[in-house]
Amino acid sequence: MSEENWIEVGSIDSIEEEDLIRFDHQDKTFCVYKLTDGFYATDGICTHEAVHLEDGLVMDDEIECPMHQGIFNIKSGEALSPPACEDLKTYPVKVDNDKIFIKID
Amino acid sequence: MKNNIIILGGGQAGIYAAREIRQNDSESNIKILGEENLLPYERPPLSKDFLLDKKNEEDLYFHSSEVLKNENIEFENILINKVDFENKKLFAKNDDVYSYDSLLISTGSENKKLSLDDNLKNDVYYLRNLEEAKKIKEIVSNKNKITIIGGGFIGLEIASSLCQLQKKVTVIEIGNQLMGRIIPKQIADLVQNAHIEHGNEIILNKQIEKITKKNGIYEILLNDNSLIETNFIIAGIGSTPSVKLFENTNLKLDNGIVTNQFCETSIKDVYAAGDVSNFYHPLYERNMRLESYQHAQNHGICAGKNIAGVKTEYSSIPWMWSDQFNLNLQLTGICDDYDEIIERGNDINNGLIYFFLKKNKIRGACGVGIIGKVGRDIRITSKLTEKDTIVDKQILSDQNLKLNKLIQK
Repeated sequence: MSEENWIEVGSIDSIEEEDLIRFDHQDKTFCVYKLTDGFYATDGICTHEAVHLEDGLVMDDEIECPMHQGIFNIKSGEALSPPACEDLKTYPVKVDNDKIFIKID
Repeated sequence: MKNNIIILGGGQAGIYAAREIRQNDSESNIKILGEENLLPYERPPLSKDFLLDKKNEEDLYFHSSEVLKNENIEFENILINKVDFENKKLFAKNDDVYSYDSLLISTGSENKKLSLDDNLKNDVYYLRNLEEAKKIKEIVSNKNKITIIGGGFIGLEIASSLCQLQKKVTVIEIGNQLMGRIIPKQIADLVQNAHIEHGNEIILNKQIEKITKKNGIYEILLNDNSLIETNFIIAGIGSTPSVKLFENTNLKLDNGIVTNQFCETSIKDVYAAGDVSNFYHPLYERNMRLESYQHAQNHGICAGKNIAGVKTEYSSIPWMWSDQFNLNLQLTGICDDYDEIIERGNDINNGLIYFFLKKNKIRGACGVGIIGKVGRDIRITSKLTEKDTIVDKQILSDQNLKLNKLIQK
């Protein structure tokens, strides 16, 4: 695992618990979440229609799309409820010196 | 016990019921009888992404034939034309007979039609199924001026799509606002502005007196004597539950098939779900009939559980959406029974929501905004409604305060 793939997202205080922030890097956009047991990251755009999940609702381990209520598991990316049927890509996250990093391939 | 379960109606409620039954019952035969020779598919994209070529037919199917095969769910394309509830039999046009132990009716709803002269019957188009969407898509490709009769969700979504295809679109609505059946006027007016800004013409408060056809051009005469010339006419003037098959039977009908909160009809072992059902909602303590994606899915699932013997009450809070241009409109709960209205936000770019309260509890809400801006708050509102929460109106009305603070864990 090479070090340079870890991209700094921001400080751990930048996300409230059970919430998310949007993170844009190069031409890609992500969602980074703070759940009760840690930080997680997924692609930012819903797999159903092109809407950003930053405005979605985080409940427990799930993110719900604000447009059509498709639901994904944040940890696995699994599409849990229609109209979403394609899984959401997830990314590894680590915390180092109170800063959040995600590993983008 | 191995039963014969028949699902009459191959739409969204039917397929979700079938799969839910299979989750709870591995033995029974499950057969869906559908009028269209297509596996169950999503209808919302028909008026939007399908017309715009952003989605094609293959994208619309809920599940592949593989999934149905794996779950041992049969799908048959057949038209049933007689029902014998007493002997638990369905009769097909081709004289085939289907016997059932449990029956789910999920026949959906059908478009109301304009009353037109016989020579114009085939000139006005409607949009409910894939075949109609394909036809409209093909014909509009070489038409320029298009008139839509009816300013409801379907008419406006088509108007939005055709405008994006550079068509000159006119919408004629009989009422004094768009989407008047369920959307508050304040929100309807904002949506109307969006249509006008994009170049669509919206005509309110007008009735159609006469439509005539001359050399392939239609002239629509309105009740103020104004005349609209158009190349193509689409009507979306509401729908009625598909219950013709049951009209001379003992099945209790009243604006659809009357069901209780367990999807049970007036006849034992006969259930109904989706658009066709006028169901009892325990939270609102009244019957209602809904035509929406979320309802078709959840009501189908609930019917499936009950048919499989898992007694389950249906108390899902109604939710629906409409996408027009870059706007996403959402409605949750019931917005016609309230003693107070609270407004949150005042700008379509950040989204704005009207909450409808009764005795300090939210009964429903309607919001509109640039795509993505109202969904989270509307979803939280559904949860607050479901939990019958007495809400802090200060938080509701202040867009800077997060609504999830109101959810009691």
